[in-house]
Amino acid sequence: MLRTTMLLAGLLALTGGIAPASAVGKAKPTTQAHHVHVIVIDQMQYGPMPTDVRAGDIIEWTNKDILEHSATARDGHFDVDLKPGTSGRITATAGTLAFFCKFHPTMTGTLVVK
Amino acid sequence: MNKPLLALALAFGIASVASVQAQTPAAASPAPAINDAQIAHIAYTAGVIDVTAAKQALQKSHNKAVRAFAEEMARDHAAVNDQALALVKKLGVTPQDNPTSQSLASGAADEQNKLAALSGSAYDKAYVANEVAYHKTVNGALSGTLIPSAQNAELKSLLETGLKLFQSHQMHAEHLAQSLK
Repeated sequence: MLRTTMLLAGLLALTGGIAPASAVGKAKPTTQAHHVHVIVIDQMQYGPMPTDVRAGDIIEWTNKDILEHSATARDGHFDVDLKPGTSGRITATAGTLAFFCKFHPTMTGTLVVK
Repeated sequence: MNKPLLALALAFGIASVASVQAQTPAAASPAPAINDAQIAHIAYTAGVIDVTAAKQALQKSHNKAVRAFAEEMARDHAAVNDQALALVKKLGVTPQDNPTSQSLASGAADEQNKLAALSGSAYDKAYVANEVAYHKTVNGALSGTLIPSAQNAELKSLLETGLKLFQSHQMHAEHLAQSLK
């Protein structure tokens, strides 16, 4: 009985102790998958800007409005058309991304990519 | 305020007063002064008027910013009206003509005739100034009368979305008016 308990404890230590350690190892930036950051558009507004965006991450705009919108870069680097109920993506490059809706110039957003 | 807008403001003003009067003996039957079928008609009419004004602007104006604004008005108001039509169809409601819609339509026709006589920057300034005043009045009517009077939750929600959109239009028109000075 004691031997069985010790064996079980040993197994638990192996699965519960070593496995998380290897998971932490995988989370290091070198092997980290690129994140998807979603910006929701509704009622003529871009929702909150995501923070901690890194170069190579995906920026996705989701248009929940009843009108067509766009995410158009001020510097002309991207121009994503967004029909009602659709989404569009770009891969972020380092720097400050200033964008607006080409159909509604009062809609603007700025995102910092590290 | 010009004559058509004054007529519009008066029409909505009367509707507001009537609404208050109707609600005073509310305990018995809180019948609103305007029903959902009339509200849908007024909102739809207001949209059609702005699309018509935008089409005139696209025929007459050569100013890039004014044309972009007119395209925005034509596209957005048509899209909102499509939503409104789909909703009334779903609800089985037939939009009902009423004095406010009639006043809106006749006021808009007068304004269109006035604008037709203008050209160049005089036209641009008059069109944009009217768009500022028109959106201000319609937004006031939406928030003060139409939204509070709407009984159906989906209609109320569409009107609320419309108000957000048209407030943004008003802001755009105000910026444009400043840049044309």
